[in-house]
Amino acid sequence: MKIWNRNKYAALFLLPYTVLFLTFVVSPIIYGFVISLHKWYILAPHPTYVGIANYAAVLKDDLFRIAFMRTAFFVIMVVPAGNALSLLLAVGLNQDYKGTTFYKVAYYLPVLTSVSVVAILWRWLYSTEFGLLNYYLTKIGFALHTMAPAIFSGNWTVNWLSSTKTAMPSIALLSVWWGAGGNMLIYLAGLKNVPKELLEAAEIDGCTPFQRFWAVTWPLLKPTTLFCLVMSVIGSFQVFGQTYILTGGGPYYSTLTVILYMFQQGFSQYQMGYASAVGYVLFAAVLVFTILQFKMLSVKK
Amino acid sequence: MGKQKRKPISVRHAIAQIVMTLAAIIMLSPTAWMISTSLKQESTVLSAVPQWLPDPVTFENYTKLFTQAQDFPVFRWLANSMFVSMSVTLLVLFVASSAAYAFSRLEFKGRDTMFMCVVATMIIPSQITLIPVFLIVQKLGWFNSYYGLIVPGLAGGFGVFLLRQFFLSIPVELEEAAFMDGAGPIGIYWRIILPLAKPALAALAIFTFIGSWNDFAWPLIITNDMNLRTLPIGIMIFQGRYTTEYGITMTAAAVCTLPIIIAFLIFQKRITEGIAMTGIKG
Repeated sequence: MKIWNRNKYAALFLLPYTVLFLTFVVSPIIYGFVISLHKWYILAPHPTYVGIANYAAVLKDDLFRIAFMRTAFFVIMVVPAGNALSLLLAVGLNQDYKGTTFYKVAYYLPVLTSVSVVAILWRWLYSTEFGLLNYYLTKIGFALHTMAPAIFSGNWTVNWLSSTKTAMPSIALLSVWWGAGGNMLIYLAGLKNVPKELLEAAEIDGCTPFQRFWAVTWPLLKPTTLFCLVMSVIGSFQVFGQTYILTGGGPYYSTLTVILYMFQQGFSQYQMGYASAVGYVLFAAVLVFTILQFKMLSVKK
Repeated sequence: MGKQKRKPISVRHAIAQIVMTLAAIIMLSPTAWMISTSLKQESTVLSAVPQWLPDPVTFENYTKLFTQAQDFPVFRWLANSMFVSMSVTLLVLFVASSAAYAFSRLEFKGRDTMFMCVVATMIIPSQITLIPVFLIVQKLGWFNSYYGLIVPGLAGGFGVFLLRQFFLSIPVELEEAAFMDGAGPIGIYWRIILPLAKPALAALAIFTFIGSWNDFAWPLIITNDMNLRTLPIGIMIFQGRYTTEYGITMTAAAVCTLPIIIAFLIFQKRITEGIAMTGIKG
């Protein structure tokens, strides 16, 4: 294949993607940074250059600090719980029991729903008076109360989204339900790559299933685990739709997340420069976390 | 010979099956509740004891949803979602496969550097560039247009990455034979590579379609015309009006979800294979 003018053909094949890539991926990264150095009120005629003033303001902003801490709280709840659940479900599927396809579809189904469907659905499930969760909790609470009144109080009603204490955990719970199936399939692909001979050898040596998992599967699964953890951290730091639709950041900023704050600054206050700076600070934080995870999980090899 | 420690396995087996079934019930029940509610009469939606199976089954919520078109153009939203997701899917297949072909088969200066750039940008959180992309699209005059909804979604690196990896696994000998018969790069791409890459293309198509269908943040900011909203945004607006009329809001949610569930059930195998295909082995 030496006769073609390679560069000409390469240009032909690459042209559509290159144009898109430069316009919607590369230039936004640079342009976004430029915007963040300006006071960029979208309705004003000209943005004014302000240097790093936006960044200084973001780092001093109490609401940004709250948003960052609340987002970190969300990440700490969702990433470990979500990954543990995904891995457990994948281990279950990997046994190839009867009905595995059904289980797989059932666990994966929530991933297929749009965030607005998830939010509409869970708003009702979480409703204090009309929600299914409180209905069943009340039933269980009442049953336990009649059995052992000394230990259990009868009132098990939870104010899910309307109390500052439970709002973020509620968002985390629905997010785990929503996303567990995605990582599950990746863990399952990783488990399928563990050589059967190794597992059989361990079984012959008299390992219990748990020992086999710990000594053979877990070390071999490490790259998969690292990938899933990194992707879930990046994804969870960007939590937006759930809080935007369900709580709008409330009550009392308890579910204010960074991207939601960025969105409010950009599209409600029209402060594009400030909002871009918020985005870049979050990007820096996510980058640091990603590098830390790589360091922590790959050194032990 | 006959006794191969069957007994402990069967006990474990039974427990595992029970746990997995319980997990399946928990994972399915919110979606099942949504669909069940959409088929209920209004009087049974908020019954004192939750009714998991609608009795009687009725489609009145669905007819109500689509006939309130003056207030909420639900049908238009459905059509918009279909049009946008299908366009994005078809265009991604074309754009990503041709770029992947160049990255895997044609030799040119700076090829690997360019590819590394594409891969590197995949790590950047997409929401962070929301504002600059919005401003760029606005400058192109694409605010409130199908272009604005469709074109920025074509630039992601995932498809290029997935297809390049797959193309690399196709043996070069096949192309050499076609080359001997006088085929050029375009012919080889069209007649050899694309047909052989069908499984990867199918996986990419379904991922792209689901992602586009469910997308929320981007269509939320790039449109504000009621007639250009996609379903996920539309049903959120819809829900704002009918906050406690659960029958009709669950129907709207079901209309948004059912096409994807059906597509998933048809292509279930492809999706699972596709994820294995991305080759995350470290």
